[in-house]
Amino acid sequence: MSNLTPAKIDNAVLDTLSPPPPRYWAVAAVLLAGTLLGLGCWIYQIYIGIGVGGQNNPVAWGTYLINFVFWVGIAHSGTLISAILYLFRAGWRNPIARAAETMTVFAVCTAGLFPLIHLGRVWLVYYMLPYPNQRNLWPNFTSPLMFDIVAISTYLTVSALFWYTGMIPDLATIRDRAVGVRKKIYTLLSFGWTGKFEQWRHYIRGYLFFAALATPLVISVHSVVSWDFGLGIVPGWHSTVFAPYFVAGAIHSGLAMVLTLMIPLRRIFHYEEIITIEVLENVAKTIILTGFIVGYAYAFEIFIAWYSFNPVEQESFRWRIFGDYSLEFWIMTLCNCAVPLFFFFKKCRTSLKWLMTISILVNVGMWYERFVIIVGGPAHGFLPHAWGLYGPTFIELGIMLGTFCMFFLLFILFVKHMPSVSMTEMKEALNTGDSDAH
Amino acid sequence: MPTDRYVMGLFTKEGDAAQAIGALRSSPWKLCRVHGPYPSHVVLDALKFKKSRVGYFTLAGGITGFFAGYGLAIYSSVQWNLIVSGKPVVSLIPFFVVGYEMTILFGILGTVLGILLSARIPEFKSLKGIYDPRCSGEHFGVVASCEAGGEAALSAFFADMGAEVRHFEAPGDIGRTVQGAGA
Repeated sequence: MSNLTPAKIDNAVLDTLSPPPPRYWAVAAVLLAGTLLGLGCWIYQIYIGIGVGGQNNPVAWGTYLINFVFWVGIAHSGTLISAILYLFRAGWRNPIARAAETMTVFAVCTAGLFPLIHLGRVWLVYYMLPYPNQRNLWPNFTSPLMFDIVAISTYLTVSALFWYTGMIPDLATIRDRAVGVRKKIYTLLSFGWTGKFEQWRHYIRGYLFFAALATPLVISVHSVVSWDFGLGIVPGWHSTVFAPYFVAGAIHSGLAMVLTLMIPLRRIFHYEEIITIEVLENVAKTIILTGFIVGYAYAFEIFIAWYSFNPVEQESFRWRIFGDYSLEFWIMTLCNCAVPLFFFFKKCRTSLKWLMTISILVNVGMWYERFVIIVGGPAHGFLPHAWGLYGPTFIELGIMLGTFCMFFLLFILFVKHMPSVSMTEMKEALNTGDSDAH
Repeated sequence: MPTDRYVMGLFTKEGDAAQAIGALRSSPWKLCRVHGPYPSHVVLDALKFKKSRVGYFTLAGGITGFFAGYGLAIYSSVQWNLIVSGKPVVSLIPFFVVGYEMTILFGILGTVLGILLSARIPEFKSLKGIYDPRCSGEHFGVVASCEAGGEAALSAFFADMGAEVRHFEAPGDIGRTVQGAGA
């Protein structure tokens, strides 16, 4: 970072906003086609009925809930990087904080779609809102599903406000270098920010409170998501370890997704001087830590099932390891616990190919973790005559593909039209030599 | 003393800007404001601002949210008035989740409101007044005012401090660069 100057930072970020080449639009078109495919599958499901999905007795929660938990998990790292690492003054977060926050916002939006898709009759979604209908049937706030509505909508609102507030000074920088209609648009978006210190003093105070409140929020949200399962008396679900286990898993997957997004971003936009190898290395080191926590949680669950002398729990976990979904279990274990260990080697932490490969494998592993938990519990419950298996249908896979395409489409649209690196924080880090930005 | 002439000294180093702010305090000129591309703590210390009151908005929002969350959950349950899963109609422990999330939500909304009101944004007039676009790039713009005819002395002061100098006739003036010094 020593060769960087404020002008270089501005130029590097502003260059990313120049008109994109045709191949950018080609990629965007492919992603849009994938998104439309997913939308088409959803419309088909609405028209025919929820039965076109593979969910049935005993597994009522399939890929829709798996993807919901997966995307909520992905969303967590953005707040970890933007809020928790901000409070800890970890300087390496600055170059990737904006992209991670963006990932958070789009991941929560993507996650929020799945409960709607899973509803089947999506037009009845207003049943979940707290308003009196003609029978005075208010939402049941003792249900973890209602906790979820409150927590996820709070998380979306807070992360979007945090993201936008952090972007205001950077939007002003773009405004001051833009002309014509673009200037007018960025003037509106930047709220007329002029960088007066009278403004900065309130801004930095507010930003600190944002970070301080977002930190307990991020921990509470995935805890609440885990209680969707932990509060159900289903073998393999009914566990007090679920909240910390889910939070650690969420950060594990989110950090992996940060690498998956940052490595191409760095290369395409020539951010090598800003998103240095040291930054990526620090993300990799954190993945080792979260990998150990997740591994501990896996081992702890199995140990407690054995130690409990509860035959149903013991059978549930025996089946998880050796039963019909053992392949998924071992993919999960290898990808989440064993593969990140390669990051102990500096060569793997500093090689873009290794970083990219491992980050994708961790994401695959974390998706399978949600599969193993969500499907594995009800598929092999208390009653042997009610055991059954689940497999996603093409409609579910189409919707899943569509949401992945939507996420990446939103991300590439963002990075080409908005500042993908926080210029303000980078400039401050240049002068203070640490992360004391905002 | 009418102070309708404004001079902006543009510094590339935060330390120089802070030094100019200190020197302006013991001068006959009036320090109006300082612009900068990032919240430099050196400049903030030199400006000796009072503590921001944004925190009060956060606190008020948080307290409101806590009671609003609990209130919503209790009110909804009382309307339904059925025991579900063996829990009391008014179950304070599960409702804590709603209260907790609402505390954070309203706390953040309060913070946003606090920033908007305290920093006085959105506000677009200042962009057309005493402002230099370079202040969002790498310059710190220290604005001081003087009475008509005193611009030369103030400009010389800024130039001596190593700044590039711009003059503004009045708040609505777009300004003109009169001297490019060590910047």
